Amino acid sequence: MKKEKSLGNEKRSERRLGYALVAPAMLLILAVAICPVIQSFYYSLFDYRLNDPTKSSIHLNYSLDLEGYLQNYPFLDSALKQEISTANGGVKETLANVQQQLQRIDEKIRSDEEVAKRYKQVDEALNNFESPSDEIKMVEIDKEVAEKFNNTIREVAKTLGKMKEAGELKQADKITGLAQGLKGTIIEPNFVGLKHYKDNFTDDRLWKALWNTTVFTVISVAVELVLGLAIALLINKAFFGRGLVRATILIPWAIPTAVSALMWKFLYDGQNGIVAKYFADIGLIHRMGDLLTTEVGAMFAVIFADVWKTTPYMALLLLAGLQTIPSSLYEAASIDGATKWQQFIKITLPLLKSSILVALLFRTLDAFRVFDLIYVLTGGGPANSTETISILAYKVMFSQTNFGEGSALAVIVFICVAIISIIYIKLLGADLLSDSAKK
Amino acid sequence: MQKKAGPLFYVFLAVFVFFVMFPFLWILLSSIKPLSELFGDRAFNWFTSHPTLKSYVSVFVNYPFLRYLWNSTVVATITTVYTVFVAAFAAYAIARLEFKGKAVILGIVLAVSMFPQIATISPIYMFVKKFGLTNSYLGLIIPYTTFALPLSIWLLVTFFRKIPFDLEEAAKMDGATPMQTYFKVILPLAVPGVFTTSILVFIAAWNEFLFSFTINTAEKYKTVPVGIAMFQGQYTIPWGEISAATVIVTIPLVIMVLLFQRRIVSGLTSGSVKE
Repeated sequence: MKKEKSLGNEKRSERRLGYALVAPAMLLILAVAICPVIQSFYYSLFDYRLNDPTKSSIHLNYSLDLEGYLQNYPFLDSALKQEISTANGGVKETLANVQQQLQRIDEKIRSDEEVAKRYKQVDEALNNFESPSDEIKMVEIDKEVAEKFNNTIREVAKTLGKMKEAGELKQADKITGLAQGLKGTIIEPNFVGLKHYKDNFTDDRLWKALWNTTVFTVISVAVELVLGLAIALLINKAFFGRGLVRATILIPWAIPTAVSALMWKFLYDGQNGIVAKYFADIGLIHRMGDLLTTEVGAMFAVIFADVWKTTPYMALLLLAGLQTIPSSLYEAASIDGATKWQQFIKITLPLLKSSILVALLFRTLDAFRVFDLIYVLTGGGPANSTETISILAYKVMFSQTNFGEGSALAVIVFICVAIISIIYIKLLGADLLSDSAKK
Repeated sequence: MQKKAGPLFYVFLAVFVFFVMFPFLWILLSSIKPLSELFGDRAFNWFTSHPTLKSYVSVFVNYPFLRYLWNSTVVATITTVYTVFVAAFAAYAIARLEFKGKAVILGIVLAVSMFPQIATISPIYMFVKKFGLTNSYLGLIIPYTTFALPLSIWLLVTFFRKIPFDLEEAAKMDGATPMQTYFKVILPLAVPGVFTTSILVFIAAWNEFLFSFTINTAEKYKTVPVGIAMFQGQYTIPWGEISAATVIVTIPLVIMVLLFQRRIVSGLTSGSVKE
């Protein structure tokens, strides 16, 4: 009885230890990988642009830029006061009306306690010639107040503009300038829902990029599989210089993709590229320049470079799988009179199935996510003919600084990758994750 | 293993090795050509009659190449050491301890290793920007965790599983706590696996392009792949320097591959082959 209890305790403490050991790694993964993906999705729901100050962060609600407001309103107010003191009749009346309108909206803004507090803080900071921080100066306000504010300012600016044209103002430029300055102080929410997805799916560029990615993935992975399998079968024997061949195989895999892409760019060069010249000499292409300047040529070029870089890796994975097949099976088969081809179809392929699927899974995902190779080699050109979806997403995010739309594209890449993984894992069954410790 | 290799086989092998190595060979030959032979008709001559090391000198004199090498070394080393350290505990728990949800955890690790980088880059970029980490080493080490940690865990789990379970039982009999067993029994046996994992994680971190390209844009903090890819001449692409730089980064790699090929291969294939 006692022993059982202590056994239970031991199990519990082992479980606790297990969770404790796994926790740091899982928290890190959650923080640096899972959260960002969720955030990407969140970003994709907003009109989020880094180069536009009113859209450079995410706003679910209306907010007021108190710094901008307080740099304009008090001065406008005092300028109006001066104008009123010297004006007569109708002009005076209109100006007083404008001033009142502005004062009313100012009061309305300050009727909120939180806003009033911040209002004071920002005002003090500005009086001390300090620049208030973003957290202090941006304050959320009600939609109703924001709309009223915008309407009032628009009206006031219009009225003042008319007065300026009529020559009724003494400090016309200053007053209209200040009124204009108030215009951009309300930040509207930039939530757009699924608009980016809708826009993307109706945009030919996305479909072209998806098509390019698919062509690149399917052709390069298929060629790599066939070549890799052939190489693996051929070198699956004892021979002199195995180590050297294995090292040769590993080098293309090990060098940075960006560096190998640049290397191929040199070899493909339309004027000085040796590979371009040889391809032209054997009639594979018409002119040397065709490789990087025509659409088909460029796609061929990136696929060829990818095949060069990753076929050896594929061969290696398949070779490892081949070596687990017991040779006794082949011996038995040849005694039964099976031909080499029959042995390949009946023994090698079925037993290699899970190795092939795992290799295909890794390679398909890598190819689908391709970025550095194509970005460095062709930049997605010519005429976007090698632009894959990752490159498109990157360009939208960092060249057009349109984070919202770019994030939507990134999420689309993510979903495609998830679908591909699910298909492969279904095919593989639970093999991949099986707890082989239990065997 | 049973089949014997004939002469035809060696011919095939030679052709294969030649094709795989041809780009490197050409880059090597180009790196010692004088500038005038890199362009025009003479660009297609295999061997130059005027070999020169000018391009190599230029790489170090006209470009902060040494700095790139240093940056890559620092970032890749720290990333490797810290992720393998964290992963070793998690992998031990997953491989050797009994607790619920192990399969789910391993599934999450595998899923995260398949995440496309592009799907995490915008929030990570905003994060490093917010904390002023652009153009710093930490600004790369944090995002590199996204691929280095799952890779380390995945590889280490397969290595830890290969260690015989009897050893643990014996240690338990002798009254060792699980942590003692880990440090005194399992970890010493797992050193080769940890080493292999480190090599693969180091290579992955060393080769990374997208994060490095986006986050560290200042010359001073560029890593090797980005630095070389962005080599710019005044009017033309400086192919001589690019060739020389490529040769320089490939040589240590070749040495590493020659030394550790068995380990690298065992690491690469460990997740994919069922034994």
